[in-house]
Amino acid sequence: MRLITHNMLTCHVKNCEDPDKQFPLRFKDAKLEQIEAERNDEFLVRMLPRLDWAALLITANELNIALPEKVPAQPENDDAFLQALHTAILETHVQEGSMVCNGCGHEYKITKGIPNMLLAEHEI
Amino acid sequence: MKDPVPDTLTLDEATKESQYVHQVYDQIASHFSDTRFKPWPVITSYLDRQPRGSLGVDVGCGNGKYLRSADIFMLGTDLSPPLVDICGQRGHDALVSDALQLPFRSGAFDFAISIAVIHHMASDERRKRAIEELVRVVRDQGTVLVFVWALEQETKGRRRFDGSTQDVLVPWVVPGSRQDEHAPDQVFHRYYHLFRDGELAQLAGQVPGCTVVESGYDRDNWYVVIQRQNA
Repeated sequence: MRLITHNMLTCHVKNCEDPDKQFPLRFKDAKLEQIEAERNDEFLVRMLPRLDWAALLITANELNIALPEKVPAQPENDDAFLQALHTAILETHVQEGSMVCNGCGHEYKITKGIPNMLLAEHEI
Repeated sequence: MKDPVPDTLTLDEATKESQYVHQVYDQIASHFSDTRFKPWPVITSYLDRQPRGSLGVDVGCGNGKYLRSADIFMLGTDLSPPLVDICGQRGHDALVSDALQLPFRSGAFDFAISIAVIHHMASDERRKRAIEELVRVVRDQGTVLVFVWALEQETKGRRRFDGSTQDVLVPWVVPGSRQDEHAPDQVFHRYYHLFRDGELAQLAGQVPGCTVVESGYDRDNWYVVIQRQNA
């Protein structure tokens, strides 16, 4: 799972509703793999509004991935920014580990890069 | 080829779906995936229309047939672990999830597609809930494309439906030859709710905060494009 996907995930256990706690999910025992991908700057710039930047920063810090604190005023002209963004969201894959909700503590497991987001019956 | 039969099962919805949809797909996953390769033009054209840099989700992605990561980025969800594994092997981002409880923050995506999925849900409320979830996860003005099997089958084709019942069990045959030359065929039955003309649009119309902006019929399926519209 790439970090772009993780940026969209939230805990959805019943009654777990504090947006500050249920998103982003915190990685535990994460095994990362960098897989090179072709960079497309127009794609990156247009994708920016979909990202929750504050959440992405928290996650990047957790995983020791370099990411600028602020999105530059003209990202399309900032090569260093675009490279860091590309590497972080499209080339960084979490292959194993789990994601923990800071609100309710639920753990979502990741195996072979695939997160299991299913809940038990009492959690729906 | 065996014909579909009316569904006379007296199971509750969740059990019916578990036994006649989820468990079946888990067992037929590999054969099913091998037969899913030709993308449908209406769907391809919808995806081609999304502007570069769009982020989308395919709910009920199966083997990842429609997932893309050039120009636009799509991730997939499916309830079937073996099918999601195939997506992963192909380099896509996919996760195991329930279409009635999507694990995404609201308004995350530019668009969503759900192809041949909600006809496997065993009640109006569940089918409507699936549409509500699809609308919830796209941003304001974002769109959702939904395809479902039609009761009215245009082609004489390999399936024939008796027009009197919308709830049916449709056989899926896994040829014995996939295992060895003497193995018998295996037959599985999948539950379907076939949609009447207008039913899908009407169901989407019951979901608050969105509008049906396009609807049509293609190759034995009804489809709608729904647009989220915050007040």
